Amino acid sequence: MTKKLRFFTDFKRFFNYVVFAAKAELKSEVADSFLSWLWWFLDPLLYMLVYSFIAVVVFKSGVKYFPVFVFLGLNTWTFFSKTVKASVKLVSAKKMIVTKVYVPKHMFVFEKIGVYGFKMVISNLLVVVTMIGYRVPITWRVLWIIPITLVLIVVTFGVSTIVMHFGVFVEDLLNVITVVLQLGFYLSGIFYSIESIGKNIVGRVPEPYGSLLVKLNPMALLITDLRRVLLYAENPHWIMLGAWFVAGVLMSIVGVNVIYKFENSYVKVI
Amino acid sequence: MSDIKDSAITVSDVKIRYRMFKKISLLKTLLAPYKYKKTEYFEAVKGVSFEVPKGQILGIVGKNGSGKSTLLKAIAGIFSPDEGNIDLHGHSVSLLSIGVGFQPKLSGRENIFLSGLLLGFSREQINEKLDEIIEFSELGDFIDRPVKTYSSGMYSKLAFSITAILETEIMLIDEVLSVGDAKFKKKSYEKMKSLITNADRTVVIVSHSSETLSKLCDTILWLHEGEVKMQGACEEVLPKYEEFMS
Repeated sequence: MTKKLRFFTDFKRFFNYVVFAAKAELKSEVADSFLSWLWWFLDPLLYMLVYSFIAVVVFKSGVKYFPVFVFLGLNTWTFFSKTVKASVKLVSAKKMIVTKVYVPKHMFVFEKIGVYGFKMVISNLLVVVTMIGYRVPITWRVLWIIPITLVLIVVTFGVSTIVMHFGVFVEDLLNVITVVLQLGFYLSGIFYSIESIGKNIVGRVPEPYGSLLVKLNPMALLITDLRRVLLYAENPHWIMLGAWFVAGVLMSIVGVNVIYKFENSYVKVI
Repeated sequence: MSDIKDSAITVSDVKIRYRMFKKISLLKTLLAPYKYKKTEYFEAVKGVSFEVPKGQILGIVGKNGSGKSTLLKAIAGIFSPDEGNIDLHGHSVSLLSIGVGFQPKLSGRENIFLSGLLLGFSREQINEKLDEIIEFSELGDFIDRPVKTYSSGMYSKLAFSITAILETEIMLIDEVLSVGDAKFKKKSYEKMKSLITNADRTVVIVSHSSETLSKLCDTILWLHEGEVKMQGACEEVLPKYEEFMS
């Protein structure tokens, strides 16, 4: 069987398990707490209040719809960084399963994408509520969030599979990744706009570095484009989105192939 | 054997190496770049071939480190052999093991689904067997309580029931399990025996105990340091093995 076909048959075979396991993980996170599933809403809501305070009172930014602007960036970044960070030690975290039954290891990444994706959807529901509160004018361009989210998932999956593979063998990878993600947080323009958008928003990074950063950092690109289509009725950077989609698919192919090649030895290392 | 049966498991010239992947640390590698270049190999299974006809019960014996469990894991598909081939002729396979992928905070019922889906069963198949599993596990009302509240005995009872009742065509058993209290032990042994002796089921059992194997198995494969030392009927192989080990 070719590798490509194997990916799809494996995906089909373990899809039900991944969905159930993601649900189980979400449920067990809130199983003990008094307010139970309400925490899925409370958690992002409280964070948003904190960041709104910082955004409005501390930064006093002139950016239009600043709190929504920040939430969008933050939710997108949180999804990406949490999935990547969880992937580093994912194989050893699933030791009980990995040593007893065969599961294609990248399916665990899908499980994490399910868990953090669900949380991102809930946080973004709160963004919608906030948008209504701010009376942000909506155009048909909001539809572009579909391709943008697709690119986000593909890039996140690609990076996570590669990180997961090396995480099995490299002991201190988590320390490195944590620092790199911290840097990524500041370079993705979550509290500021990297480039100017329309007449409303002035970029904080001087040109040409601003456009360069948006092109080279996929998270900066995705966050900027989400804001463009949702808040400021502008088109996304189509060419760069397409380029990062291709790059994400390539990373995923490399990641999955490396996992198929080496997952035999994972059991022997952990 | 008089009648020719179809093969259920064909193992041909299988070699399994443990690459001694040491975990590496980026920091240490930066400080001492030449220390971590060597990869050592250790061959646990050195070219083993055998065949198990459908419906037969094969016992594998051998001293510690002879490659029994490694071979069993390879048949289960947990990792594939470095050389050679294992053909299961399209039969479903499971390694009878305890508590695969349990989520301690979820109820026993939910964990049955989690475990079952992981073992490759569909939701419908699990639903069909759900009552039987719950009944066999003797957990009663506890089935809807979180697994973390279970005693260790209850935990193993549930785990055993899941793997024993969600049957596969080939069952692999690493040491005959005995779990729970005396009564459940007897019951699980009986259940295992009835599973094993089902004419359609092919079973591979790894054990140290010649007594258990002679009671359950048709043929014995004796592994010694990764190679087949002997293969044949119980009466033939087991006495020689006993003699060798004493």
